[in-house]
Amino acid sequence: MKARAGLRQPMAWIHSWLGLVAGWILFAMFLTGTASYFRPEITRWMQPELRTEAAAPAEAARSAIAWLQANAPHDEQWYIYLPDDRTTATRIFTRPRPDSMTPAKRRREEIRLDPATGEALEARDTRGGEQFYRFHFQLQLPHPWGRWLAGLCAMFMLGAIVSGVVTHKRIFVDFFTLRWGKGQRSWLDAHNVTAVLALPFHAMITYTGLITLVLMYMPWPIAANYAKPATFAVEAYGNDPEGAASGRPARLVPIAPLIAAATEEWKGGRPSTLIVRNPDDAASSVTILRDGTDALNARGGSITYAGADGRRLAASPPPGPAIETAGVMLGLHMGNYAGPVLRWTYFLLGLTGSAMVATGLLLWTAKRRKPGATPFFGFRVVERMNIGALACLPAGMAAFFLANRLIPAAQPGRSGLEVSAMFWMWFGLAVLSLLRPVRRAWIETLAVAAVAFASVPVVNALTTDRGLIRSIASGDGLFVAFDLVMLSVAACLGFAAWRAAHIAPVAPRQRRHAGPPASAGKELADAA
Amino acid sequence: MSIRKARGGGWQMAARCLTALLGGYAAAAGIASLGARLLPIATAEATAWGMILSFLIFVSLGLWAFHEHRLTRIALVIWGSAAATIGAVLLIGPRA
Repeated sequence: MKARAGLRQPMAWIHSWLGLVAGWILFAMFLTGTASYFRPEITRWMQPELRTEAAAPAEAARSAIAWLQANAPHDEQWYIYLPDDRTTATRIFTRPRPDSMTPAKRRREEIRLDPATGEALEARDTRGGEQFYRFHFQLQLPHPWGRWLAGLCAMFMLGAIVSGVVTHKRIFVDFFTLRWGKGQRSWLDAHNVTAVLALPFHAMITYTGLITLVLMYMPWPIAANYAKPATFAVEAYGNDPEGAASGRPARLVPIAPLIAAATEEWKGGRPSTLIVRNPDDAASSVTILRDGTDALNARGGSITYAGADGRRLAASPPPGPAIETAGVMLGLHMGNYAGPVLRWTYFLLGLTGSAMVATGLLLWTAKRRKPGATPFFGFRVVERMNIGALACLPAGMAAFFLANRLIPAAQPGRSGLEVSAMFWMWFGLAVLSLLRPVRRAWIETLAVAAVAFASVPVVNALTTDRGLIRSIASGDGLFVAFDLVMLSVAACLGFAAWRAAHIAPVAPRQRRHAGPPASAGKELADAA
Repeated sequence: MSIRKARGGGWQMAARCLTALLGGYAAAAGIASLGARLLPIATAEATAWGMILSFLIFVSLGLWAFHEHRLTRIALVIWGSAAATIGAVLLIGPRA
């Protein structure tokens, strides 16, 4: 052994270990995060009885305030999320006054309104796209552990990306090389292609993902500069008016002129959210938040008006370069600024990321497979975990959609049952697959996942009046696209099952150097 | 000889991993905080730059811990810079 090995060998070693330790969780994060680019669309698909049309922001705000004045006049704060092209309902919730029976600052349950009529919408109870979105960074674990684990895995991902770039000696040559049906070599090629093809995306999405929760992961620079951490948020994003109610009633001014004033100040920027404090009190205030979808920066800024007379009270300060950078990173990660074409690109790049993690995990086993020999314990664990993550999680996601259509709409607690269906399918299938030999387990779990996805459009057509043919006829792009994605995913999983059934396992690549087995490090550097 | 042996036995490997993960985090937090405290620009801006760049510092230190052979050198550099920067931040105190 040389005293100082090159850079590549330790980087190859750390790359495979980082990828192995975090790989299964990263795959789940990548896949559910990718689905979350269509969070509002999934929610709309999961409430097929709703067919609301988005209304103009001023109209939606007016109807929401009228509903709240009638139904929650004594609450301390109203939150109104205005509809847009993708979320067609107005979403509202309120916070009661701390002195009432409820605990201080607890938010009440979210209610959705038809923006045109201002009436509460009745639809089946579901978590919708929110389920994948939350799982993506909370991993269905209690707060704060899920977020910490997700952050740790993201950090491993960042390390794996940097060490992976160092490891691949001919990275851009490898990008053009894909050798099918050659066992280990094919998995390596596939890993390289998916990784290099979208490398800027992978690096961007991993780093910006860490930035989305930076206040939790890395609050120490705030602590170093501010005696009171809250001061940072005020300096960076402006002051929240937290005045107490005066006790003198004063009707809120009409909302439309305030929205018009904000839109003019933003040179046409759309309002996304209204926060009304102390409604219908002489000391009331209305904060209008700017929609982040027309700019890269996800934090659009805000303006606050006095609720009693419509005076402009305050606005968020223009962001400096660093605050702007953080906001743009957030925007790049969430992709809310993306129009349909870019959104589908995000979706496909996210799938590429999932495939990169998946092929990396498969490469780990392909490289260590020895025909005829009894596989060592760790190898068998990794092999089984790969089946449980790569084939069974997609099946669980399909079960979530199927449960949405099969559980009666009026069933109490049905949104929780949908989530249970996802995890019973995922982990149940993973446990059942242990009863089968590895090769059969791959074929069967992939086939189950394919059938589950293929049955989503069928079950949708049988249980709703929004099946594929009728959606095509009525020009319902969302429902058509959803069914087509389900069928495409089913086809990909079916193809994977077919490949698993028809391709004989290939022995690991012969090492170039004959003689005694080369060191594991040498092998990794060679192959990885 | 495997990388693991080349890098020392089990205990040394565990020490290396802990230094990379916990020490790397502590050093990244310390360096980012000290930089945010000393950077002569607006406080909120300096704070945000510190937070944005902290993960870059973390990943660089973490990977270097597996590139460098001598464990004592790694431990000295990573834990030493963590202690020095965090100590300096605590000594100087917050701006406001």
